[in-house]
Amino acid sequence: MNNKKYFDIIKNFLDMVPILFILAMFILHLVLPNKTFSTEERRYLNQWPSFHIEKVLNGSYGTKVESYFSDQFPFRNFWIQIQEDCNQIIHEIKTEENYSHTNYLK
Amino acid sequence: MVFSSLFFIFAFLPVTVILYYSSGKHLRNIVLLVASLFFYAWGEPAYVLLMCISIIINYYIATLFGRNDICNRKNKFYLIISLVFNLGCLAYFKYFGMIISTIASMGNWKLNGGTPALPIGISFYTFQSLSYVIDVYRGKTKPQKNLIIYALYITMFPQLVAGPIVNYGDIERQLADRRVNLKEFSFGIRRFLCGLAKKVLLANNIGVFWSNVKNMPGTEISMVMAWAGIIAFTLQIYFDFSGYSDMAIGLGKMFGFHFKENFQYPYISQSISEFWQRWHISLGSWFKEYVYIPLGGSRVGKWKLIRNLFIVWFLTGLWHGASWNFALWGLYFGTLIFIEKVVFRKSMMVWPKAIRHIYSLFFVVIGWVFFEFTNLTDIFCFLRLMFGIKVNSFADNQAIVELKSYIILYMVCIIAASPWPKKVSLYFRNTYSNFYRLAVNIYYCILLFFSTAYMVASTYNPFIYFRF
Repeated sequence: MNNKKYFDIIKNFLDMVPILFILAMFILHLVLPNKTFSTEERRYLNQWPSFHIEKVLNGSYGTKVESYFSDQFPFRNFWIQIQEDCNQIIHEIKTEENYSHTNYLK
Repeated sequence: MVFSSLFFIFAFLPVTVILYYSSGKHLRNIVLLVASLFFYAWGEPAYVLLMCISIIINYYIATLFGRNDICNRKNKFYLIISLVFNLGCLAYFKYFGMIISTIASMGNWKLNGGTPALPIGISFYTFQSLSYVIDVYRGKTKPQKNLIIYALYITMFPQLVAGPIVNYGDIERQLADRRVNLKEFSFGIRRFLCGLAKKVLLANNIGVFWSNVKNMPGTEISMVMAWAGIIAFTLQIYFDFSGYSDMAIGLGKMFGFHFKENFQYPYISQSISEFWQRWHISLGSWFKEYVYIPLGGSRVGKWKLIRNLFIVWFLTGLWHGASWNFALWGLYFGTLIFIEKVVFRKSMMVWPKAIRHIYSLFFVVIGWVFFEFTNLTDIFCFLRLMFGIKVNSFADNQAIVELKSYIILYMVCIIAASPWPKKVSLYFRNTYSNFYRLAVNIYYCILLFFSTAYMVASTYNPFIYFRF
């Protein structure tokens, strides 16, 4: 009986893992200090935009907040690296083909 | 704000979920309504006003129906006011520019109508408002007395900007009283993540292939490339749209709403009619219920049937966008369905399954050419390439290299568009029920992980000026 209870708790916890991940990233975003410059992208990262009622009314404030949010996303470079690696795996054949193509040209 | 953005998933959604579940039951509708208005106002603050006016007018008209006997003259008058208002708004904000430019080109005039910007989701919420008003007029549902509940029905953020078009009757009870348990909530998240992965991992990536083909000059596209390109678009549009519907259904579940399915594996269809019963189901049933059946449906003479099909498919096409190519796309399907209904009738059932499947897919894929290119010259130019007329080569080196690099993605997309993943999942659920839940949750965490990576990377914007 006890075993079943624990098993149920584990099952319910597992169900909540995705939303916990989302919450964790949200909290980290709030807690981690903002960065100003990205050496990888060689540019200044967006900061929280200053509030102007005109900007809110024409919708540009929302866009700026979204840019801030993505620029300051926790572990930003890590995620970008993951995506680059994935793309390399998916399009692996392409790179090989390109190499063979250039070799052939030589 | 779109569902597949970092801000929505990692800021708006957690805040809304926390506020929603931490507030008392009587406050939950208000929390959801405020969140939905905020969601809409995020990119389109001015048009919130238009939506609110539309909500108040339709709400008020529906309450007027309630005071009279069903279908009397006064009610008809109110109904007409509502139809004129709703369709008038849609016509002005969505089709005004198209109408003006058509008139201008017909008479060779220079007209500048000052086209208004399109309010997001206007096609969806107008159709929902219309279905509500018509249903109340017909006496099918009672008018909603509570303005907040009605406003929530129209503005609910999961389905506000890209559907599905939810029938008021389907969620009437849920609007007033709904319960969510942990199981349903977690099912909702998983459904949302499934849609997110469809959009971010599949649609966006296979879409790159199609945009590469589309951006090539026509003279450089070989026949194989043209087919590979339009098939990539076929997959992209399915994962994009059905992904969005999945996200909407999942979000609805997280807040206790049960929306009907909007896509049922359309690419396994064995006829064009079947395709439309599986593709954007909520739109198809809207037109059937509020246009096709009132016109007489299929149980009429041949000429009337042609008229009905013409009207319904012309409108269905045009609903997709303010451009004539969409009307053409709709009529193309109308014609095919007419042929199936009148010429083939039941003889199609004798064809081997594979032939029926190939026939349907072939015409659906051709249809996407009409959907994707806005002008007639481009449409026929691309069709010419597909059928090898005046094409430079059957398959060139570039086509083979590109195809090879996308082959994995193609295969994943084709499998994901079929019912097989669900069948396999059901098999595992029945056979290994203990580990199933663990495996499913791990699977969805992986999807979320990679979707996040792709979403972050889409904002990767290296400053490259220094290279020059």
